[in-house]
Amino acid sequence: MLPIAMTLALTAVLQAQAPAPAPAPDLSDPEVAHVAVTANSIDIDMAKLVPSHTTNAAVRQFATTMITDHTAVNAQAGALATKLGVTPKDNAVSESLQTGATSARASLEPLHGAAFDRAYMDHEVGYHQAVLDAIDKLLVPTTENAELRKLLVDVRPAIATHLEHAKHLRSQLAAPARTGK
Amino acid sequence: MIVGLLLLLAGLTAPPKTHTVEIRGMEFHPAVLTVAVGDTIVWINRDIVPHTATAKGQTRWDTGQLVQGQVWRYVARRAGAARYVCTFHPTMHGKVVIR
Repeated sequence: MLPIAMTLALTAVLQAQAPAPAPAPDLSDPEVAHVAVTANSIDIDMAKLVPSHTTNAAVRQFATTMITDHTAVNAQAGALATKLGVTPKDNAVSESLQTGATSARASLEPLHGAAFDRAYMDHEVGYHQAVLDAIDKLLVPTTENAELRKLLVDVRPAIATHLEHAKHLRSQLAAPARTGK
Repeated sequence: MIVGLLLLLAGLTAPPKTHTVEIRGMEFHPAVLTVAVGDTIVWINRDIVPHTATAKGQTRWDTGQLVQGQVWRYVARRAGAARYVCTFHPTMHGKVVIR
């Protein structure tokens, strides 16, 4: 089973705030923008692995859509940041996302064919669920600028659709092979 | 009687209408659209991400990729019904009924 490190990283951030009064990471708007851009870039980079690791047409089409959609969102985020005069600022959440992505990528890279398909789609299900949770529980509540908040809200349905698409595709793939572990 | 005939003819030759399907929030609005033969349907993408509206089955029409703000027009020539999807996001469905 693929260690979904990035999902775990996001989940850890979110769970840290689960006991009611525990403080959410108090992100500034430039930090929120950085998290959003990082999250999109991570999924673009992951999708770029796909063509060299599988011939499954549906998985490849999904990856193409991820590249197209997350690139479009990042372009919009970049345009908004420019308009608002905001320079995205690196922060602990972005760094934990990046660390998780590096780990997830290392797990995916040795895989090919059906094993890659399952691991990649498992990753995409976990990743999009974690991003949805982050939008709802972390990013939207902490964002001060109304336009930046609206962008996050506008992006949410796309993430939810990606999640449903990923779940459907994953369910179409054969059960994971036993690894003996 | 002549006036009545004229009114009847006017009714029969009612000008075609234009109907708009907005793509927003990863959905087609309205999801089901009923039009008359001769009417025009316009799809417009309001979302950040690109979409298509692509007919399934025997009906052949396809908006191709619509980026944000882009529109595509289709004139309903023949009666019938067609379901369509976004090929990028197969969970998005719509239907056109032409009467």
